[in-house]
Amino acid sequence: MGDKNTPLLAVLQLLRKYNLKGTEDILRKEASLGDVEYENLDLPEVELASILTAHHTESDPYSYEFAYDNLKKFIETSLDIYKHELSTLLYPVFVHMYLLLILYDHNEHAVNFLEKFGQEQEDYCQEDLKRLSIVKHKDQIKGNELAEIYSTNKFVVQLSRDASSQLKRFLHEQKSSTVIINIINNHIQVEVHDGPGRTQAQVRATTGGMLGEATRNENRTKVYYGLLKEPDIQVLPAPVEDEEEVEETPDKPKKKKAKKDNIFMKKPKSDPNAPPNDRIPLPELKETDKIEKGKALREASKRIQLGPDSLPSICFYTLLNSGHTAICTDICDDSTLLAVGFSNSNIKVWTLTPVKLRGMKSAEKLLDIDREAGDVLVRMMEEKDRDTCRTLYGHSGSVYKVAFDPFKTLLLSCSEDSTVRLWSLQCWTCLVVYRGHVWPVWDVRWSPHGHYFVSSGHDRTARLWATDHHQPLRIFSGHLSDVDCVQFHPNSNYVATGSSDRTVRLWDCLTGTQVRIMTGHKSTIFTLAFSVCGRWLASGGSGELIVFDISNGSPAAILPPLHTAPIHALAFSRDGTILSSGSLDCNIKLWDFTAITEEANGEEPGANPIQKEEKFLLRSFATKNSPIKGLHFTRRNLLLAVGSYEGSA
Amino acid sequence: MGDSEFAYGSSLSVDSMKVIAESIGIASLGDDAAKELADDVTFRLKVIVQDSMKFMHHSKRQKLSITDIDNALKIKNIECQYGFIQPDSLPFRFASGGGRELHFIEEKEIDLSEILSAPPPKIPLDVSVRAHWLSVDGVQPTVPENPPPLSKEAQKLESVDPISKLSKPTNKDAAGKPMCGKAARLKASESVHVKQLATHELSVEQQLYYKEITEACVGSDEGRRAEALQSLACDPGLHEMLPRMCTFISEGVKVNVVQNNLALLIYLMRMVKALLDNQSLYLEKYLHELIPSVSTCIVSRQLCLRPEMDNHWALRDFAARLMAQICKTFNTSTNNLQTRVTRLFAKALQCPSQTNNETGVGPSMVTSMKESEKTPLASLYGAVQGLAELGPEVVKVFILPRVRWLGERVEGALSGLGGADRLAAGNLKHQLLKVLAPVVRQLRQPPDLPDDYKRDYGYLGPSLQQAVSKVRASPLAGGGGGAVAVVTCTPPLVPAAPSPSHSHAIISHAPKTVETVASRNVVISASPAPQSPAPSTPPPQKYVIVSQQKGPQTQPASGASHIMVHSSQPTIVRSQNVKSVVVTSGPAGGAAPPQKVVVVGVQPAHHQVPSSIPGQVSQAPVSVVAKPVFARGGGGPQPPPELDDLSHLA
Repeated sequence: MGDKNTPLLAVLQLLRKYNLKGTEDILRKEASLGDVEYENLDLPEVELASILTAHHTESDPYSYEFAYDNLKKFIETSLDIYKHELSTLLYPVFVHMYLLLILYDHNEHAVNFLEKFGQEQEDYCQEDLKRLSIVKHKDQIKGNELAEIYSTNKFVVQLSRDASSQLKRFLHEQKSSTVIINIINNHIQVEVHDGPGRTQAQVRATTGGMLGEATRNENRTKVYYGLLKEPDIQVLPAPVEDEEEVEETPDKPKKKKAKKDNIFMKKPKSDPNAPPNDRIPLPELKETDKIEKGKALREASKRIQLGPDSLPSICFYTLLNSGHTAICTDICDDSTLLAVGFSNSNIKVWTLTPVKLRGMKSAEKLLDIDREAGDVLVRMMEEKDRDTCRTLYGHSGSVYKVAFDPFKTLLLSCSEDSTVRLWSLQCWTCLVVYRGHVWPVWDVRWSPHGHYFVSSGHDRTARLWATDHHQPLRIFSGHLSDVDCVQFHPNSNYVATGSSDRTVRLWDCLTGTQVRIMTGHKSTIFTLAFSVCGRWLASGGSGELIVFDISNGSPAAILPPLHTAPIHALAFSRDGTILSSGSLDCNIKLWDFTAITEEANGEEPGANPIQKEEKFLLRSFATKNSPIKGLHFTRRNLLLAVGSYEGSA
Repeated sequence: MGDSEFAYGSSLSVDSMKVIAESIGIASLGDDAAKELADDVTFRLKVIVQDSMKFMHHSKRQKLSITDIDNALKIKNIECQYGFIQPDSLPFRFASGGGRELHFIEEKEIDLSEILSAPPPKIPLDVSVRAHWLSVDGVQPTVPENPPPLSKEAQKLESVDPISKLSKPTNKDAAGKPMCGKAARLKASESVHVKQLATHELSVEQQLYYKEITEACVGSDEGRRAEALQSLACDPGLHEMLPRMCTFISEGVKVNVVQNNLALLIYLMRMVKALLDNQSLYLEKYLHELIPSVSTCIVSRQLCLRPEMDNHWALRDFAARLMAQICKTFNTSTNNLQTRVTRLFAKALQCPSQTNNETGVGPSMVTSMKESEKTPLASLYGAVQGLAELGPEVVKVFILPRVRWLGERVEGALSGLGGADRLAAGNLKHQLLKVLAPVVRQLRQPPDLPDDYKRDYGYLGPSLQQAVSKVRASPLAGGGGGAVAVVTCTPPLVPAAPSPSHSHAIISHAPKTVETVASRNVVISASPAPQSPAPSTPPPQKYVIVSQQKGPQTQPASGASHIMVHSSQPTIVRSQNVKSVVVTSGPAGGAAPPQKVVVVGVQPAHHQVPSSIPGQVSQAPVSVVAKPVFARGGGGPQPPPELDDLSHLA
């Protein structure tokens, strides 16, 4: 097909877009274009616009300023109940006007327009505007991530029914200038909701996503946020442990059993929100895993109840001489091992207890071991090894996340070299390299039940893997920018992702579809944490901390921005009463999560998530110039924190 | 470029493009081409920087580094920029000239052979993990691993604006004691806000700490003292105890000056030094207590029992150095600290003819000035030393004009009979020469004629001339007047000591005082030689206070005239019936059960205190640690609360 026909094709596409069948047919006949070309109609939006520019003679640059001013005046003079909702229109209209000005080669006007109205936009838009402002030429739109996102997606604005009719009336009056009408038609999706107009705080709570707010329909799907019914493991490992214990203290096991039951009593036997246990196939527990689970339960029975009056003790592990090289840390579930990923591609594992890190014996020696022996697991380890720290080599780029599996035998790591590696903590070697991500992998997390893990990266996808498959089981795509963090739901059925497009999304592992999209963050999201009960999702960005309600996808609480630097660590206490956050500003803050959820439950969902005062903050602990890189609650509710000392300067 | 331009980022200028083009050999780049290039390069650079920000964030840093840029290039399929490895931030240099402004990286030429021949660089330390308690049950312990509970800035602010402490809503952020239970509830329910006084309650731990530290600082165990001083100098979170520490020091100095207990004065000065060295403390609020104490130790008439034998000069030197340090640290235009201290020392050097004309300083000062003729040589020495530490300019203005009069004093004393006076005069003379020589060297031109010096500087002229020519001759003198403080340390303290045995005793300890300058861990031990048993042998040190009674009329002359005390006089001086109180703690071997308070009365007539001490000491076991307790007049059972409130705790 020749170049000559391209404008015609563009017109065709345009006609099809607006469903003008008759005109389209006539045009096709007249230009004698066959059906073949018709099928090929798939020009990118940007190109389409640029092609049509040639025929757009009326694009008067001065009309833009005028139109925007008019819109602003209309919004300012409208009633308070509409004002705040309508004001969310300003930013997308502004952005698209700027892009149109650039498209129509009015570069000078575009710069002036940006300077004149850019400062008025919401403060959280300024970062985006800065990124957008580097686009100063038509050709640069294609290369710019943000400009492409804006021109290929629709910005979502939620308006109440009354507000939208107000807007319609206004647009009707503005017949002379079609600029705004066109923008709203082409690039903005107005969601009309029933109910009164929202207040400024309400609007502010949910705006901030790169493409505005989540639409209501997107969050309609039912999410089984309840916990899985725990398998009755206490019956199986109990005899094993009882035997051990009987020798020491005959009366203890009984007590513990009673307590264990208590723990189970607390959980409702049939949670209406819990998914069926076989919704996601989970691996059978191995004998060793059961022992580990049993241990966890025993420990849990000894844990301290935390609350505003009984705050946890914090043990701080400082990484010395690490400078800026230590990037990520993880502490295994039973708090015996600490793994740190470094920018020099190494991973180091420390033992936090006197137990040394032992490797497995060589194959010849393993043959000699009696496999039926009760202590075969101990026997197969090399006795001579007395290391307190082991280094794992293999990656060829900064290691951005390390994660211990729930049973303490495997370690996952993801790196700038776009691979995820699985390491054995018995052989101390790499077992599998998972390739699939195209660009750096930012985060990787285990499913709470093991076997599955999820990774996310710069390629704007999150991927669900099983350790026995070298290819991903699911690819969750939909984010508009880097997926910076992921987290598995405690029931392993869902995965939450946080992204640079300032949305948090929840994906169903079974179907691979997006079931929740949660907006409200005004900056990149760096870390996520599910509450112990599975209903709440805490997410941390550059200083902001939001708790979302999974059941309806609305922000339940927006905690005051007391952190002055990005929050990179979040952890819930094991009893779910305290949320701890650690930030690069060298502070650990403890929040009263019971109060947060009570407050959120008390009110109608999503009704009034206003910025709460500092009453949720219990305490703040500063470290000595050591940014917090990891937080972990032990099974007994002692808080472990890891940070790297960056010198006294 | 305008403000708005700045808000939305800057761009490369056409000029820079031209400079870059020139640097790669393109001589004439057209304006249009340069503009086009500049725009494009700006765009690309910004895109790369934006991407590299992602890498910075994921590396959990707040500072962009070169590896971030490299990574960003990598994901754009552009080859990395090799060779830009900088451990720290880039040291951009700025240059301008010919209407052009440039930022560039300084690239030094490296001699390869030098690198090859150099020893291999040290291997960087391996990463290690260290655990400590950041919080115990919600309370942050004040250990060195944790940041100080109240930052120095906050302390500074508080000293300027004490209200700020009260206006803070809760102490949630500061990691002190948690607001819990009743107090919190009370605070919440309070409807009328009553302005509260800032309380300085110490926790039991802090009280114990205070007790331990003060005991160790003035006790007899040198090892413990070193630890205690180390703790004072390093531990964060001492600010809550500072008021008490400072009171302890100031009261201790007041009492021990009267007692002439040199050893204890030295210990107290070392405490001051340790507190000054503590990075987390801001002492300005307590200077009103510290400065009088320190200046007392500089200029007091008598600091030890036997001035002719004990090396109180070292204490004066040490205290003078402390004073200089205080002045340097805390002098501001509002408190005029250095001016006031200088004036204080200068007054001591005032000769009587001048002081008689001056009025209005305050009655006490006037009376002391009237006796200025009798200003003891030791005080003169202290004043000279104190001024000398403040720098050569001060020496020039305040000491040099007094040289003639000081010379007369020295001359008089040297020709006199009193052994102590002669020793003092010798010291003073030596000190003056040492202090003045570098200054005079700067002032006068080379031909140093003894007669000129004699004419200008009186008695000290010829000696000064010799000293100056020696300074001129020595190659080290290049340092000039600025190095006065350093120079003072090197020669022995008493070169012209009258009695050989004394000089031996003192000289042998001169190096020790020198060491104290270098590091605070070294002991200023005041002459542990057998000639001076009082402060050196362990037993007398047990007795923190050994008080003698003095006749009421001798009091102002000996005690008060040169003790710089602030408003409240130590009660002990006024008392008629002074007792020394010794609190023994720890396992007492014989008669005294543990924690018994032994009150030993000293007879008014007893001037031979050292002889009376050994008798009492023999009862006390060596392990007994004594702490100072101040007995009030009339043997009141209640010592001053701020010092004694801890003795009950043991």
